[in-house]
Amino acid sequence: MDLVNLFVTVFTRPDLWAGTLRFAAPLTLAALGGVISERSGVVNIAMEGMMLVGAFFAVLVAAATHDIVLATLASVVCGGLIATFHGVASIHLRANQIVSGMAINLLALGLTSFLMFRFYATSGTPSDIPALPDINIPVVNSIPFVGAVIGDQNIIVWVAILAVPATWFFLFRTRLGLRIRAVGEHPRAADTLGVSVFQIRYLCVILSGLLSGLGGAYLALSVAHSFSDNMTSGAGFIALAAMIFGKWHPVGAFLACLLFGFGQSLGINLQGTGFPDQLVAATPYVLTVVALAGFVGRATAPAADGVPYEVGE
Amino acid sequence: MAVAASVLFGACSSAATTAPSVAAPASVAAPASVAPASVPASAAAPASQAAVTSPGASASASCATPDPTLAIGLVTDVGGLNDKSFNHLAYLGLQQAQCQLGATVDVIQSSEQSQYVPNLTTFAQKGDKLVIAVGFLMANAVYTVAKQYPDVKFAAIDTAPADAKGNTVNLPNVANLFFHEQESGYLVGYMAGLMEKGKVGAATSGTISYMGGLAIPPVDRYIAGYIAGAKAADPGIKILGGYSQSFTDQTIGKSIGLNHISRGSTILFQVAGSSGLGYLQAAVDKKVFGIGVDADQNYVAPATIITSAIKKVDVAVFLTIQAVKDGTYKGGDNEFSLQNNATGFAPPNSAVPADIVSQVQAVADQIKSGAIVPPTTIPK
Amino acid sequence: MTVAIAPLEAPRSRILRLAAAGVTPVLAVVLAIIVGGFVVLASGSNPITAYQQMLVGAVGSPFDISETFISSIPLILAAYAVSFAFRCGLFNIGAEGQLYMGAIASTWVATTLSDWPGLPLIIACIVAAMAAGGAWAGIAGWLKAKTGAHEVITTMMLSYVAIDISHWLLEAGPMTPANAFGTPESGPIPPTAAFPVIVPSWILPNARLNASLFLTILAGLVFAWILWRTPLGYEIRAVGFNAKAAAYGGINVARRLVIAMVIAGAFAGLAGMVPVWTQMRLYDSFSPGYGYEAIAVALVGKNSAIGIFLAGLLYGAMIHGSVAMQANANISGFLVQILQALVLFFVGAEMLIRWMLKRGGLRAIAEASA
Repeated sequence: MDLVNLFVTVFTRPDLWAGTLRFAAPLTLAALGGVISERSGVVNIAMEGMMLVGAFFAVLVAAATHDIVLATLASVVCGGLIATFHGVASIHLRANQIVSGMAINLLALGLTSFLMFRFYATSGTPSDIPALPDINIPVVNSIPFVGAVIGDQNIIVWVAILAVPATWFFLFRTRLGLRIRAVGEHPRAADTLGVSVFQIRYLCVILSGLLSGLGGAYLALSVAHSFSDNMTSGAGFIALAAMIFGKWHPVGAFLACLLFGFGQSLGINLQGTGFPDQLVAATPYVLTVVALAGFVGRATAPAADGVPYEVGE
Repeated sequence: MAVAASVLFGACSSAATTAPSVAAPASVAAPASVAPASVPASAAAPASQAAVTSPGASASASCATPDPTLAIGLVTDVGGLNDKSFNHLAYLGLQQAQCQLGATVDVIQSSEQSQYVPNLTTFAQKGDKLVIAVGFLMANAVYTVAKQYPDVKFAAIDTAPADAKGNTVNLPNVANLFFHEQESGYLVGYMAGLMEKGKVGAATSGTISYMGGLAIPPVDRYIAGYIAGAKAADPGIKILGGYSQSFTDQTIGKSIGLNHISRGSTILFQVAGSSGLGYLQAAVDKKVFGIGVDADQNYVAPATIITSAIKKVDVAVFLTIQAVKDGTYKGGDNEFSLQNNATGFAPPNSAVPADIVSQVQAVADQIKSGAIVPPTTIPK
Repeated sequence: MTVAIAPLEAPRSRILRLAAAGVTPVLAVVLAIIVGGFVVLASGSNPITAYQQMLVGAVGSPFDISETFISSIPLILAAYAVSFAFRCGLFNIGAEGQLYMGAIASTWVATTLSDWPGLPLIIACIVAAMAAGGAWAGIAGWLKAKTGAHEVITTMMLSYVAIDISHWLLEAGPMTPANAFGTPESGPIPPTAAFPVIVPSWILPNARLNASLFLTILAGLVFAWILWRTPLGYEIRAVGFNAKAAAYGGINVARRLVIAMVIAGAFAGLAGMVPVWTQMRLYDSFSPGYGYEAIAVALVGKNSAIGIFLAGLLYGAMIHGSVAMQANANISGFLVQILQALVLFFVGAEMLIRWMLKRGGLRAIAEASA
């Protein structure tokens, strides 16, 4: 199959682009959470753990109540709870934030696997749980190419897309957002101006937990419709990379997630075309490195990112 | 990250919730009809509720009293008990033996490959009557430990002992449990081919697909059979395929499924453990058909999953334990195929018309008689 | 993001500081065990039995001690890889991929040069492992120096690429000789290349613990020696402490970044070779995530040679000890992972421990360990 032909066939396939959005959605939610947290000065590498916890409790509550709203709420709240642990450790206990984040990832993995086994042994989670609905847009759906790409995406995909400008607006056009950024760059100055550094940081860490939890709910209730051990499989870490790639900016992080999602989707669509499948699977990673090295360059974190704040010293 | 995990064994937790499977061992002995494999617990009470209570308290009157001399150990590979594949099925067989034969059982989930030798050794040292090793990765480990403990019996699922050079060496105290997955793949592939040819239900596109986890023999044997069977039923059929490179990533599984569906597939066959469940989810979402693997996966979505390619690891394990108890244990190769009803296809759901089912059944008989020999490798 | 590491040391009261530095991790472990005990209790099992089984399982017999070391070695080596990079202010989150490259290279050398005599062959394999791991990490280091590409992204991505490459090599054939079952595995490592077993058979017949233990100890010594006894190490640590100040001081920061990553990758390459040598063959997906667990080990070990060695032993003991726990006490092995996480968490929550020490009247120790 000659390359030009291949190129055309693959790139005109709507599923390539639809898949990009599907992959990018959970990554975007977690990455936006990371952006918010780190903009306030708290390093957050625990997205993986928060997503996993969100996924598990989404399924647990969905199975118990058969109510999709409650299940989604549960996942969001649990993500926030886990984030609170990270907050307490990082903000009040002034722990090394990398350590705290890693500990949460490990804890989440062990805990969810433990509880999964406890509640569902080896039979797996029940299959009659409700799912987050797809949004079928009748008019758009009939547009030839575009319809297949966006006409029938899951509600969370839309939430993730809309969360990007919302986060941008929140961080850059509201007073609270200004405070957050101030706390992340010059906490001492913000403190002297009466901004409560601790409160702002807690707020942001918890927000990141809520968003990651929602990302986990998407994976469990829309994509997989079940929970299995370690089902996030590194998605939280990819979101972390996307956040850095996007230079801690919501739009940049989103674009990075799209790039990665595109790479994964491309990898899937190149299967069976003559290239070895295992190497084709590396497409998103290679693409990311090339884009980063070639076009994006240096990324600078907020100045006070990762530095615990000591009140009144 | 695969993690070592253990099992809290309550009395007969699986027997209580999987009523059909209690009959399964008996029906394997009876020829002719294709009996369903043990079905994992339905959407009703999760099996582990009983599992959490302390061992020893017998909840159900129908279980045998525990026999401490029949100690059985199971060492899983790094896939873990939740792999929705052979580790899981071996465990189900173990539980059946616990209930029906009164075996006392223990499980060690290996968290890394270098643990296979010490884990097998732990059970051998403990004096277990039978130590079960799961998976082809354990070939050398089984060889090493079986040689060191010639008085302990072993069962190796999907593999045979291999020495350091890689040569297969049959040992008298190791039963090699081999399965003819290609037969099951062939049968479900044949069914898929007939469905497409007859344009039954959603199967109107003339295109089917499969997804494997990794390109390893236990996976590829299924796929080889599937491709051959489909082509035998409908030579003009189009087959798409892919691998998720993972047995746990459901997002990739589903994306590959949606991709295959967007390219026309209307029957999706998964051979990828948990990742494959994501693949089947795509079929559920887009209202086409899916085919499960290893055990009857109809419970995932009764209207969507038309059948499953069966590999009765649980029955094989149960029979081996029973053989140890009865003194009929045999080392060396133990083949499990249609001959002893250990492979086949799960009872199809209502979407499959009766005449297709009987045609597939006829093919099964031909395989049994040797008239058809499904391939074990995928044509390049 | 800033990676907080220990500051450059003043020579004053070094011994006291070293001793005190050991206090907080030990207390962290104790706290983790206590909290973990409550988790076991909550799940309906007996914590005393659980820990007893784990302890006996980890060190209760020569067999167990030997296996505990075997479980620890890859973690220790991979943790040196993560830690060396931390010392230069770099977060080497991709040690997993570097260790895969080391495994592939050393296996390839062993199977290709299989007719070489023992000592040169094993040295060649070690060199190949270090070179491959070092080169793979060096790519990330070079990209950071040249383009500012953040190492979290590059090492993570390269890690996935390395794993995919290993799948291809072992499944699609270039490194897999035809075998009876078509298993994705390399050819056998020739016995001449094996590490000699170091446990005499009168203590433990069929022991598996071999000279890789000495290699690991040597690696720790080299780790400490480079960082604390060479000008290169001083500069690396200076860059890690404050890259801007180091640049003002005339240090070529870019060069140091690359070298630090290369050396870190070399440690990781060794971490990949050893588990392959334990099985005398490279199998598909051989690593359970050593590179990832190593991050926890590096952090608990506080980025010091001895600390990492001990932390690695602790984690290895927990991993091997859990086998006995599962086999004899019917307790969930997931507990181990929860314990590992708790240890990490409490080590990080130093303030909490220091606060507890202060309250307990041990102010001097609390302050010395700061």
